[in-house]
Amino acid sequence: MMRRWGALAANLLAFLLILGPIAIVVLVSFSPGDFFAFPPRGLSLRWFREFFALPSMRGAFLLSLEIALGASVVSTVLGTLASLFLARRRGAVVSLLNGLFLSPLVFPTIIIGVALLLAFRRVGMPILPGLVCAHVLIGTPYCIRSILTSLQGFDVSLEEAGQSLGASPVRTFFLITLPLIRPGLLCGWLFAFIVSFGELNTALFLTGPGVTTLPIEIFAYLQFQGSQLVIAAASTLQICLIMVLVLSIERLVGLTNIVR
Amino acid sequence: MPSSCAADPQGGVRKPSPRGRFWLSAGSSAWILVAPPVLYFLAFFVVPLLYLFFVSLHVPSQTELYGSRVTLDNYLRVATDSFYLRIIRRTLVAGLAVSGLTLLIAYPVALAMVRMPARRRSLLLMLLLFPLMVSNVIRAYGWIAILGRRGVVNNLLRDAGLVQAPLPLLYSVETVVVGLLTILLPYMIVCLVNALLTIDRSLEEAAQSLGAGPLRTFFHVTLPLSTPGIASGLLLVFLLTLSAYVTVQLLGGPQSKMLVSLVYDGVMSFVWPRAAALAFILLGISLTITTLMLRVLRPQRVEGRG
Repeated sequence: MMRRWGALAANLLAFLLILGPIAIVVLVSFSPGDFFAFPPRGLSLRWFREFFALPSMRGAFLLSLEIALGASVVSTVLGTLASLFLARRRGAVVSLLNGLFLSPLVFPTIIIGVALLLAFRRVGMPILPGLVCAHVLIGTPYCIRSILTSLQGFDVSLEEAGQSLGASPVRTFFLITLPLIRPGLLCGWLFAFIVSFGELNTALFLTGPGVTTLPIEIFAYLQFQGSQLVIAAASTLQICLIMVLVLSIERLVGLTNIVR
Repeated sequence: MPSSCAADPQGGVRKPSPRGRFWLSAGSSAWILVAPPVLYFLAFFVVPLLYLFFVSLHVPSQTELYGSRVTLDNYLRVATDSFYLRIIRRTLVAGLAVSGLTLLIAYPVALAMVRMPARRRSLLLMLLLFPLMVSNVIRAYGWIAILGRRGVVNNLLRDAGLVQAPLPLLYSVETVVVGLLTILLPYMIVCLVNALLTIDRSLEEAAQSLGAGPLRTFFHVTLPLSTPGIASGLLLVFLLTLSAYVTVQLLGGPQSKMLVSLVYDGVMSFVWPRAAALAFILLGISLTITTLMLRVLRPQRVEGRG
């Protein structure tokens, strides 16, 4: 009995610590007053209107969306190519490449940011393409992990059947392989999109005047203008977007297989 | 694709194996497929890191990215300056506190989740996964909304008439630790749940039927068998703590800078070689911690037995 209560208390504490701050941000963003008040006195969409009235915030939001869309698609293509190779071959090269492809997951991303900034300075890379390239790099490992998982239960004989019936390799890929790994592909894309949409540590260095993503804009705003409720509205928008995406992908393929 | 047979790495005169005939498993075409991601990672990951290291070995320059003279000064300065050393020590202490506390909180949670029915467990895991998708800047802002001068806590205390002036709850190392703890807790729980799920329940039952109490069973069976999860959780949390600049900056303020803040400040002051050296010191610390943790916990003991 004691143990059950202990476990329940630990669970409650953990989930409160994890979800509490996010819930408070969402609640506060609907408050009508000028200042932070909790619990909020009444409901209003005032701060959402203010968010879209600020050109810098609106611009950052749209740019974040565009970059996340573009970068996650490129990540998924690169990730598919890499996963097909990693899943079907054995040997030292494969484990070496596996390590290389997955290392950005645990590598201190701030170092990647500094390294890319310096390299881009050296070769004179413009800001926007540089930022997108960094986001692609950060997103690709997530795609690879997800696609690799769906390739592990893959029956290669299906592809052989397609080819023995006269389909070209490309046709086999699009008619057989692709539909079968679609859940992994979608989950990978979703992760790459979300990671790009919230990316901080590389974007911190690679954004520039006029080219700012939403998280960086929020960060700058918090640092220089104090915590205002428009930030809460921006956060709620970001959270809603993620929720819609997650739920629609969950509808399509079921997310439970990517939790691990 | 008749040529793929000859390109089969096993080679030899044998009838074409089904695997060898398939285009993606075949020699040369597979290399063409994997070339784009490999080139991408070389161009945007490996080469920039090598260049960063190269720059860290040069003297700073006013006009160029780095001066022409090769030196180890950038590293030596950090290793001998008490300002840098104090911040490095603070970074390590905070990292250890965050990873230790997440482990302590996450373990009972993970244990409880493993014993739940699978449906409820995956629901809770989804609930844990969601915060990981929310940008860290928003999750840090959540703590500002709770602990700030006009935050939840100060509002409640003022309304209850307990304080006159708002308490300064933000901008300390402790706040950073609490913030990072909550941001990184889901990673630890997921790692532990995955490890605990692979443990064969009959081992625990065997220990109990041989007369071990629940505590003894836990410390002699469950805990040792979950070391792979503990190791990967601790590593993930510690490494993410090391590069969490935005959280440190927003919750710690200028008084509780960490190593990652020094890297950022170095870049912003355009002293590239020093920033590069600091980045590599950060990398060195993460590699050292990784090696130490794997040495101490030795997760491969468990994994080797499958």
